[in-house]
Amino acid sequence: MSSQFQTIAALVVVALAVTWLVARAVRKRRQPGCGGDCGCPSRELKR
Amino acid sequence: MALPPHIAGGTGSAPSRTPVYALVGNPNCGKSTLFNALTGLKQKVGNYPGVTVEKKIGTAYSQHGQPITVIDLPGAYSLAARSPDEAVTRDVLLGRRADTPQPDRILCIVDAANLERNLYLVHQILDLGRPVILVVNMMDVAIKAGLEIRIDRLEHELGIPVIACEAVNGRGVIDLKLAMSRADLPLSRHAWDIPAPIAKAVAELQASLTASDGKPPLIARAEALLLLTDQDSVRVAGSTPLSSRTAELLRGWQQRWEGEGTDWASSLVNSRYEAIGRIASAAVTQAGAAGPTLSDKIDRFATHPVWGWLTLGVLMTLLFLSIFTLAEYPMNLIDGAVAALADGVKANMAEGDFRDLITDGAIAGVGGVIIFLPQILILFFFIGLLESTGYMARAAFIMDRLMSRVGLNGKSFIPLLSSYACAIPGIMATRTIEDQKDRLVTILIAPLMSCSARLPVYLLMIAALVPGEQVPLLTKVGIMLLMYALGTFGAFGFAWLFKRTLLKGEPPLMIMELPPYRLPGLKDVMLQMFERGWLFLRRAGTVILGISIVLWFLAAYPKAPDGATAQQQLAQSFAGRAGHLLEPAIKPLGFDWQIGIGLISSFAAREVFVSTMGVVFNAEAEGDDTAPLRQALLAAKWPDGRALFTPLVCFTLMVFYVFAMQCVSTVAIVRRETNSWKWPLFQIGYLTGTAWILSLVVYQGGRALGF
Repeated sequence: MSSQFQTIAALVVVALAVTWLVARAVRKRRQPGCGGDCGCPSRELKR
Repeated sequence: MALPPHIAGGTGSAPSRTPVYALVGNPNCGKSTLFNALTGLKQKVGNYPGVTVEKKIGTAYSQHGQPITVIDLPGAYSLAARSPDEAVTRDVLLGRRADTPQPDRILCIVDAANLERNLYLVHQILDLGRPVILVVNMMDVAIKAGLEIRIDRLEHELGIPVIACEAVNGRGVIDLKLAMSRADLPLSRHAWDIPAPIAKAVAELQASLTASDGKPPLIARAEALLLLTDQDSVRVAGSTPLSSRTAELLRGWQQRWEGEGTDWASSLVNSRYEAIGRIASAAVTQAGAAGPTLSDKIDRFATHPVWGWLTLGVLMTLLFLSIFTLAEYPMNLIDGAVAALADGVKANMAEGDFRDLITDGAIAGVGGVIIFLPQILILFFFIGLLESTGYMARAAFIMDRLMSRVGLNGKSFIPLLSSYACAIPGIMATRTIEDQKDRLVTILIAPLMSCSARLPVYLLMIAALVPGEQVPLLTKVGIMLLMYALGTFGAFGFAWLFKRTLLKGEPPLMIMELPPYRLPGLKDVMLQMFERGWLFLRRAGTVILGISIVLWFLAAYPKAPDGATAQQQLAQSFAGRAGHLLEPAIKPLGFDWQIGIGLISSFAAREVFVSTMGVVFNAEAEGDDTAPLRQALLAAKWPDGRALFTPLVCFTLMVFYVFAMQCVSTVAIVRRETNSWKWPLFQIGYLTGTAWILSLVVYQGGRALGF
């Protein structure tokens, strides 16, 4: 894997990570809470 | 026995849609255990009151495989709600919530060893005129206490199916499912005499609730009784308000009774208690005189003003000793595997950004956190054991003496206890607190309890505390106990302050049931432990991985000119610049800009500090061999060559993390629970301000003393 290709691949992964984190934060704004990460009721339990 | 006029004889036929059962009962009578047994879900259970503060919905299956919806409701002693969680139960049963279907049928669960007290809620529920199945749970406990519960007699008196059950062992669950599968369930035949002067008020209110509030007649009657005896004052989001006509009518009757000087509300309650007393005396017999139980004997020691504290201290010491000793071997294994993985990637990939992202970003960030998995599992195993045996309620009892002195509500203990795992469920658990000011004080101090996300930070700092050698075991345990005590007593200190300034008020007396000690339910304990472990891994594999990748980018870009050292690269990166920007504020605490990067990133979640240190110091490391994070930290230096992570700096960082509000999810949940931005912003300000001041005192004081 050339150095240039590695740089492009790394930046794509970083962009995907940023997009996912931002989308997650926006979802949380709509439905504040831990999203089940902290052991509070999961969506399966809480409707 | 004459049937009350409001209940027509007959049966409650099966609803045309999927039947909805509500599971209701007093706190700590085994509702959630039964809910799990019926639905196969893994709702948290514990041997103390107040575990469930929200409704939970699951699906059970009848003997014919038909789905049955089951709603697990928070525990309540009566339908006259005193706290937001009890109000949820009341509102669902009375059909006051638009977001929840009114249950077609009700599963009333009672504690066999405390039948008479539990029957008060059952009696109120029978007034609703819905088909009810009574589940007499914990029969084994009642038998051990010398009680004989005559199920057939109870069934005869109430006229509804009564099932004897031991939900924790699964006994009686099949009988219960058979009863739930019945197409027709008989309506209750219970009778009780409403005092004549009240009957008119009940009838008028019932008529108004039916006509103006659209309630079915039987629900309207039950609600009328509740409105007249209560106190039906606690309203929560989702509660539909009374119509103005009904509210006016209610005020009229209350004023009339006040004018007459008669307390008809109490008469109504007494009348109900008399009816319940008759049922209980017919159904329960006590074999011999009741002497002190084994639980009573243990409690003489466990709740003693001196021995009780000693017991708590010994248990906490044992917990932390286990965390350090039992976890060592699996931690070394994980550490070795993480390093081998990073080295393997380095050996098999050409140099470049993508390789660095994998090794210095993803593996260093996530690996730095998952190494603490064994300790998290041990922590939650012990917490689960203490909850399951019933000891946690005793801990609440002991702490209440101290908590009441600082003005804290005794009911604050369970939310604060939950906050040791995570502040979010702790803050949600404050819904059991009736008084709004007490609830707010508890929300404000809950993040001070050392949550499991702080554990990796403490453990990393303790590991780095003594350069070049192993930290003695007792020192590790002592420091860990100190951090937990600092958070707990800090919380009490702030509660004392808030109760005397911002949120003045007298603390109510705590009335808390001490459940009997039980052998721990190992299955539940293990389930809870693995669930917490899974949550920890999931966070590491999602949020922490994402943040580590972004952090790697921020630490690697913009690129320094060719020939720059790793330190120079980091210093001029985006992350380095942010760290440098913060450095003037944190330098008096002994922290440099690299630690500053960790402080900024860990606002997302505290354990991100560890992954950030992994990214920052691995990014800085020269050469291809991956060194353990502890060694990387100990090798870190100030520009003048002084060691960065001295014992004093490590200790100061721990103190900072005890107090700082480093958790964006907690901020969001406080915003939701207080319905305002004022309190979460205040919380960020006072906690982070305290963290800064105390860290300054510790660091500068330590230096003055020659550390």
